Amino acid sequence: MAVNESERSFQHPLYEVLERFPGLDLATTQVDKLLTWGANNSQWIFPMATSCCGIEFMAAAASLVDLDRMGSITRGTPRQSDVMVVAGTITVKMAPRVKRLWDQMPEPKWCIAMGSCAISGDFYRDIYSVIPGIDVAIPVDVYIPGCPPNPEQLMAGMLRLQEKVNLKRAGLWSPPETRPETPKTIEPAIKRLLHQGRDRRIDAAQIDQALSLELPVVDLPPLPEPAPEKGEDE
Amino acid sequence: MTAIARARAPRPDPFLDIDSYDPEADLMVMNLGPQHPSTHGVFRVLLYLDGEIIIKAVPYPGYLHRGVEKLCEKLTYAQITPIVDKNDYVAPMLNEQAVNMAFEKMLGVEVPPRALHMRTLLAEIQRVASHLLWLGTFAMDLGGALGGGTSVFMYCFREREAILDLFEKLTGCRFHYNTHTVGGQRHDIPAGWAAEVHRVLGAISDRIDEYEAMLSHPIFLKRTKGVGVIDAQLALELGLTGPLLRASGVDHDLRRDAPYHIYDQIKDLKVAVESDGDCLARYKVRVVELRESIRISRLLVDNVPEGPICGGRPIKQPGQFKAKAGQVYVGIETPRGELGTYLIAGGGKMGDTPYRLKIRPPSLHALAVVPYVFPGHSVSDAVAILGSLDPIMGEVDR
Repeated sequence: MAVNESERSFQHPLYEVLERFPGLDLATTQVDKLLTWGANNSQWIFPMATSCCGIEFMAAAASLVDLDRMGSITRGTPRQSDVMVVAGTITVKMAPRVKRLWDQMPEPKWCIAMGSCAISGDFYRDIYSVIPGIDVAIPVDVYIPGCPPNPEQLMAGMLRLQEKVNLKRAGLWSPPETRPETPKTIEPAIKRLLHQGRDRRIDAAQIDQALSLELPVVDLPPLPEPAPEKGEDE
Repeated sequence: MTAIARARAPRPDPFLDIDSYDPEADLMVMNLGPQHPSTHGVFRVLLYLDGEIIIKAVPYPGYLHRGVEKLCEKLTYAQITPIVDKNDYVAPMLNEQAVNMAFEKMLGVEVPPRALHMRTLLAEIQRVASHLLWLGTFAMDLGGALGGGTSVFMYCFREREAILDLFEKLTGCRFHYNTHTVGGQRHDIPAGWAAEVHRVLGAISDRIDEYEAMLSHPIFLKRTKGVGVIDAQLALELGLTGPLLRASGVDHDLRRDAPYHIYDQIKDLKVAVESDGDCLARYKVRVVELRESIRISRLLVDNVPEGPICGGRPIKQPGQFKAKAGQVYVGIETPRGELGTYLIAGGGKMGDTPYRLKIRPPSLHALAVVPYVFPGHSVSDAVAILGSLDPIMGEVDR
């Protein structure tokens, strides 16, 4: 489930004030650039580190890879953070807590799903207590596949997020994120309707079976008359 | 206060009735977790406070229950090894060894001496990495007392990265190695690896002295000495093992008392025992273990015998080995204590999958002390105690 980008907005009351004065609206673009620069270089992270990926997240925050050099400091509270990194398996018991913490983060905010478990549940996805990916609960901006991803891959994910934010704030189109493990996880054994690989014989068999049921015929009410079309000259 | 006198002192009641507590008191209920940087994962403790002092603590685990034991019941023996890697994700080598030793015992597979030697070596190097991570996070839990709090964390992770690079050269993975299999190992030691091990472990061994000098600090002593005392009686009652039990004065180490792999050939294995049972004692025990593991690893890496690394063919396809009905228990000493694997094989049609695989995690028993030890301490001490227990929630909830 990708993010609905059209609902993301960066409106600010400051812009309305600036637009009232002629000439100052030029300044809004500069302000926007300034805000983008600031947002990109201070993406403070809220680590939702539950399991193995949390250790790799700690390794990324430590001295070798050092996320701090991008301005990405780790914060312990959601109210001071911009990016939530979901690192690890999210269980049914934990998912409401993740959602609640996500709701406490101020806008604008982004989410990174780190590792197979956060993306799709990995091999725990069939287990009764694990949710199949964090994107069933909160919108995800960047997926980082791996079990667990290296710290360098997390760094690449953060750079990808910066790129996305830049494009979005410049009003440019950015390609939507594809969930890396989607074909693997939600491709059903029997193809659903309108799927290209669907077997037509299944359809034929189903139609035959439905016709052979000999259900009683019901008289439907007549459809209403369509309204007369209006001409262009009227 | 000696250990005996402390054992005779009345213990705080873990089942204190809050309703009948002093109504004049300044009561407050506080949640520690499940999302808290110091809980080392997702662990929730409900704290009842009188002012600043904890009077009752109720632990609630289960936020990372992934149904591993149930998952293992439908997998063949060869498929289980990568699953149990994720249980104790700080020491995955030991998890693999525990289940594979149980399978070998059940299936009657011989392990060649080179593989046994490699397992001992890998276990000891993994113990160094695990204790380094513990030292870093424990120092961070104690907070600003240690030069900004994150200095020791940064240093320890630097050394840990070097060890992970060693494992990466051997197996191709930083962790979740999947290098053990039924009957031996999958990956042989590459050329020049022994020299690398000597270089890395030699450097770490020098740097541990620096960390000890850094941590023998009056504030560190004040935060740890006499905090979170677990007496030997309580430790034995609750089934503590490993460094926690040894810090409480009980001299017990499976590597020496019930040797597996080639630990019986290591005659001068030094087992650290402290009698105080507080956070400082646990720190001391782990630092001594760190040095001892480095010493053993450097000893072992020079004497790896020649020969095959896997007895016969590695188990790959399902149905290659069929287990008869029966049950085995294997316990090994991980950095956190005794990791037990209790396997019941179904036999017959269920010969290539386990009927039941029970994992006895040491961290679950470590967390059992929370209601007994937390009362009487302040909240900041509770964080220090929790850090010194070194729980890994992946294996607590499984």
